[in-house]
Amino acid sequence: MKFYANRLKKKEIKKNFEAYIFLIPNLILFMSCSLYPVLWALKYVFYQYGGYGAAEIRFVGLENLARVFRDKVYWQSIMRTFTYGFGKVLIIIPLAFLLAYILKERKKINTLAQSTIFLPTIMSSAVMGLVFYLLFNAYNGEINKILMNSGLIHQPINWLGKNHAMKTLIMTAVWGGLGNYMVYFIAGIQQVSTEAIDSARIDGANETKTIWYIILPMLGPILKIILMLAITSAFNDISNVMVLTEGGPNNATMVASLYNYRYFFPVSTTESTVPQYGYGAALSVVTACVAGLVTVLYLKVSRKLDDIY
Amino acid sequence: MKDKKKKKSSPFKWKVMVVQILKTIFVTVAVIFTIYPVIYTIVGSFKTNAELTLGADFWPSSWQVENYYRAFVEADFLRYSLNSLIVAASVTTLAMMTSSLSGFILARRNFWGKKLLISLYLSMMFVSLGAIKLYPIYQMMRSLNLHKSLIALILTLTGGQAANVFLVMGFTRSIPTQLDEAAIIDGCSIFQVYYRIILPLSKPILGVVALFAFRNAWNDYIAGLIMTIGAPQLKPLTVAVVQLKYSVNAAAEWHIMLAGAAIAIIPILLVYSFASRHFISGLTAGALKG
Repeated sequence: MKFYANRLKKKEIKKNFEAYIFLIPNLILFMSCSLYPVLWALKYVFYQYGGYGAAEIRFVGLENLARVFRDKVYWQSIMRTFTYGFGKVLIIIPLAFLLAYILKERKKINTLAQSTIFLPTIMSSAVMGLVFYLLFNAYNGEINKILMNSGLIHQPINWLGKNHAMKTLIMTAVWGGLGNYMVYFIAGIQQVSTEAIDSARIDGANETKTIWYIILPMLGPILKIILMLAITSAFNDISNVMVLTEGGPNNATMVASLYNYRYFFPVSTTESTVPQYGYGAALSVVTACVAGLVTVLYLKVSRKLDDIY
Repeated sequence: MKDKKKKKSSPFKWKVMVVQILKTIFVTVAVIFTIYPVIYTIVGSFKTNAELTLGADFWPSSWQVENYYRAFVEADFLRYSLNSLIVAASVTTLAMMTSSLSGFILARRNFWGKKLLISLYLSMMFVSLGAIKLYPIYQMMRSLNLHKSLIALILTLTGGQAANVFLVMGFTRSIPTQLDEAAIIDGCSIFQVYYRIILPLSKPILGVVALFAFRNAWNDYIAGLIMTIGAPQLKPLTVAVVQLKYSVNAAAEWHIMLAGAAIAIIPILLVYSFASRHFISGLTAGALKG
């Protein structure tokens, strides 16, 4: 009996061992590239590390976090992230839904239109940020030239100036994300049973009514996922902002991701900042918490809405 | 009788037609909106700088192939393209290998610590520190002395693969376990089961993983920027293109910028033209089912 148990144990150990051999390559990368940075940040939240005239790493307790809560510019950048995120979502979601609805049937021409609208998703947002930087240039940019030549405007618009930079940024973000969300919606609409739609049509509902009373309610769960993806992804967008506006002018497009980044690395080659890793870690941990909080709040609110209906 | 019917249905048909026209216009506008910057990049890359900044014609007066020569040779884009290609190819291979090994074993075996591992993977998908996580990774690579080669960038971009691991895990679960059992009875080890049975059957999902890994690696900007801080000759294409914006005579180099941008987007456009359907279906497989 004892011998048998021993053999079982050995077999068990061998099985575990085999499993870990499979896991190791991925696990090493996961530990070093996903887990380690998070633990690193959680540690240095409590340390003074880098910064003006501070060479040594020193434990400072909650000082960094307290400084985050006092940092007005940071909270402004959080508000800007909301403006950016909600602006992007509010424009993209209805447009993407309408496009998905129109292009839902599997026809050749629809597929062609779909894959064209999806195109920006596969291109580098940094490289396209540079292209948009040229397109929206105030004096030589193509957009102003087209608008002036067609007589729509008489003076060049300073698209990347203080007043318009955020709108321009959101516009380019819509460009980059529209196809993505359209595809999500098409997948969602294809899951809504065609019988429900057909029976509504037979009962005399017109197209608008069918969309409003049948398709949208049945899309509910997927719509929730789509909105959540849209909100959380807005917190992570950085390379498009970095290339198009560098957060400027005068911080007009300084979103949280970029603000935190500046405590680690310079945003442009002309800028020279003293990195403050400890404080930067605190900023990024707080930002991750804010993003998490928004997601949780959103889930709560959307659940409440479910109860009402 | 016939006339009456016609009269009744004609306003209705009108409405349908108007709606149809509105739909077509809407889609057309959306298509133009998305494709215009791409066309501008490619057509613009053949113009002279003066034409780009001052002219208003859509087509170039003469096609300046020279722009590409200058970008490739003078701006050294040949080297950066090669860097990007090496990085993207390596990341794609590594991503496929690591995620398929892990996804397979998570779907098929129970082992000590499996639950903990899965919840760690899941939580890392939702906790996001953004670009600042590159700083500790860079430091680590430096202490391993990898920061002077492309390996640092390749490893960073491959990363934890949490989403892909779950994707492969879900797919492997849909393969009947009887196949494995039969193979084991025939004397296969778990490694042979993986290599001979599951791997050939997982081609579709690994294709999705490869496509997205390639896209992400080729398009990446921030990781490439930071991982090559100490070794500018290792810059990927995206970083080299964007840095033209900061060069001393940037105002006189729009044509080179656009040629660089075109060099950076044309390869992925080619991949897309062959695999657009896989990109689109892969996206929904990853986001909605995963």
